[in-house]
Amino acid sequence: MMKRKKLVPYYYIIPGLFMVLFFVYIPVICNFIYSFFHLSSYSSTKVFAGFDNYIKLFTNDTFPIMMKNNIMYAVISLIVQVGFGTVIALLLESKLTGRLRNVYRNIYFLPALISLTAVGLLFTFIYSPDVGLLNSALRAMGLENLTQSWLGNSKTAIYCIIAMSQWQFTGYITLLMVVAIQNIPRDYLEAAAIDGAGPFRRAVNIMIPLVKEQLLVCSIITIIGAFKLFTEVYSTTSGGPGNSSQVLGVYLYQNAFLHDKMGLAAATGVLIFIITVTISIIQIVVTKSGKV
Amino acid sequence: MRRRLGRIFGVLLIVVMLFSLTACSKSNDVSNGEDKEKKVIKLFHRFPDEPFNSFIEKIVAEYEADHPDIDIVVSSAQNQPYKEKIKVVVGSKDCPDVFFSWSGEFSERFLREGLIMDLTESFNNDQEWKNSLLESQVNEYRSGDILYGIPFRLDAKMMFYNIDIFKENNLEIPKTWDKFIEVCEALEAKDITPISYGNQDQWPSSHYIGSLNQMLVDNDTRLKDLEPATGEFTDPNYLKALEYYQQLIPYFNDSVNGLPHDMARNNFAQEKAAMFFAELVEITYLAEENPDLNYGMFSFPLIEGEGDPTLLTGSPEGFVVSANTKYPEESIEFLKYFTGPEVGKKEVQEVGWFNAGIGIVEGLEDQKLLEAYEVIKSAKTMSGWFDASLYSTIANEYLTSISDLTNGDITPEEVMEKIQKVAEEARNTSSTEVE
Repeated sequence: MMKRKKLVPYYYIIPGLFMVLFFVYIPVICNFIYSFFHLSSYSSTKVFAGFDNYIKLFTNDTFPIMMKNNIMYAVISLIVQVGFGTVIALLLESKLTGRLRNVYRNIYFLPALISLTAVGLLFTFIYSPDVGLLNSALRAMGLENLTQSWLGNSKTAIYCIIAMSQWQFTGYITLLMVVAIQNIPRDYLEAAAIDGAGPFRRAVNIMIPLVKEQLLVCSIITIIGAFKLFTEVYSTTSGGPGNSSQVLGVYLYQNAFLHDKMGLAAATGVLIFIITVTISIIQIVVTKSGKV
Repeated sequence: MRRRLGRIFGVLLIVVMLFSLTACSKSNDVSNGEDKEKKVIKLFHRFPDEPFNSFIEKIVAEYEADHPDIDIVVSSAQNQPYKEKIKVVVGSKDCPDVFFSWSGEFSERFLREGLIMDLTESFNNDQEWKNSLLESQVNEYRSGDILYGIPFRLDAKMMFYNIDIFKENNLEIPKTWDKFIEVCEALEAKDITPISYGNQDQWPSSHYIGSLNQMLVDNDTRLKDLEPATGEFTDPNYLKALEYYQQLIPYFNDSVNGLPHDMARNNFAQEKAAMFFAELVEITYLAEENPDLNYGMFSFPLIEGEGDPTLLTGSPEGFVVSANTKYPEESIEFLKYFTGPEVGKKEVQEVGWFNAGIGIVEGLEDQKLLEAYEVIKSAKTMSGWFDASLYSTIANEYLTSISDLTNGDITPEEVMEKIQKVAEEARNTSSTEVE
């Protein structure tokens, strides 16, 4: 009886293990192997390439542009989504919102529910040079000279895409932070209030330190998201004009399916994998030591 | 209570798993189950928009009615996704039997891998088939002597112009480049946008560059450079072509790179610009966007250069047969019908597209279409679409650099330097690498 009980839990793991093995680990290993070959999606022949694909990736003219764009996306997202999102969460949980608290929360969260492609299309219309909402609004306000070909200008394209993501995901981080704030034991806040701490003091000295873990998790999610960036760019500019809004994800995709360079795409995949895994490891290490 | 919940959950899980299993096997059932006696031919095309999709469905239904033993399963995808999907399925067991493929490099790489069927013999042995199609157009689907596809829709690029705007400003159709610039200048002076142009998707620029290269670059050099193994792009005329392109930039509408091609077409249809460099297949769209638009078309203005000005920019688009099809004869038979004159007549009447069938415009009254057909019919040689003729990495470099050039971010010299670099890489790798 005892023996059977010990085995039983493993039966339950098998389906999950099977799925993870076949859909996560094996593809990752295959991808790693592919990155050392020249191959295409429709051809059966593979040619060994050594580090050729990696050299091509790192010496490419667009490589610095892609890294810059991905990093810019991460930095701006950290400031806006995590920073600003936390402030909104604190405000939502304060007395200011009153009875409409739930309404506000839903309004902020709503954009996160729309599909990425739909948002991409929506913003293509907003940024459209002639009939777009943004330029029309600027013209209506008499700011004619500020109108731009937003997605058609190499200097503004990537920032327009980043702005779009901020609109979409700030509410998501806000919601995560709201949950964390709600988990703070009321006693702490009441005790602080009795000691004479105002709302601002309570937020800075009690709430934020107590949601430190969640803040860190949100930051990690945001940074990892920034390096996996794909749909937002693909559905608006596809990396253009020129290569000005190119990012790692789109570069991978275009090489795999447009230029028949699966090996180079796999190498790009490995790079993204290494970046995201490193960030995840940092997260695990820091959260372990960061117990409150 | 807890136990019961667990049991319910377990049952639910099994249901979900079973459901997903049946979902997986469903696709097989369709082809093997009820139509067991019928031969299934899978057709994959890239015209999911209306009215084109319904037209294809209708033509297929008529064929099935005449051939009770054949079942044609049609699927489709939009332009860009189509390119990706077909590349993934073409090497697999699920490859469609008859599928859309661009002529030139796009198809030829499949041909090199032995994935699409060589139709030369069947075509040459069938005099009736051979005589029913326009030879100049069919030749676009040849690689050397090998015929690998049949055109489904013919196409070429022409400069469309608004007749009313030209009349009001006493302008004549410009035959040469200098006259063309004069016309642009005159329109600009009247505050009319001379040329409507949207390059957000980057391919429209390649049609300008393609036409300019044809005029300026020696034809043998041009053809040699299109081959990945020999392409150098060192001829100074390529640089000249870019400089000619630069001359046009002031006459385009603003924010070219922020405007998709179809919006630029719409601007032309709404008379917001005097000219538009468009494909003949767009006549149908223009009629839909503004049926009252009074427009005509003229050839790309002539430039004195080393090239061949008789080349017509463009290429037909057509269908090929998979080399791994279970029913080669039936597939060819269907292809013959699908791209033949009988369908061609209906095609031009119903959706305004031509195929390579001879005599398809009989009884056609639409003057625009007749004019367009005459352009294509009288062309001796087509040049192919520039981006589709190029090796994909070179095409990509051309498109991204031209987009920067259009924004004024780089110079023509820098563009050519980049292209020569990528061409060199392509030369080095095309010998060792699987393309």
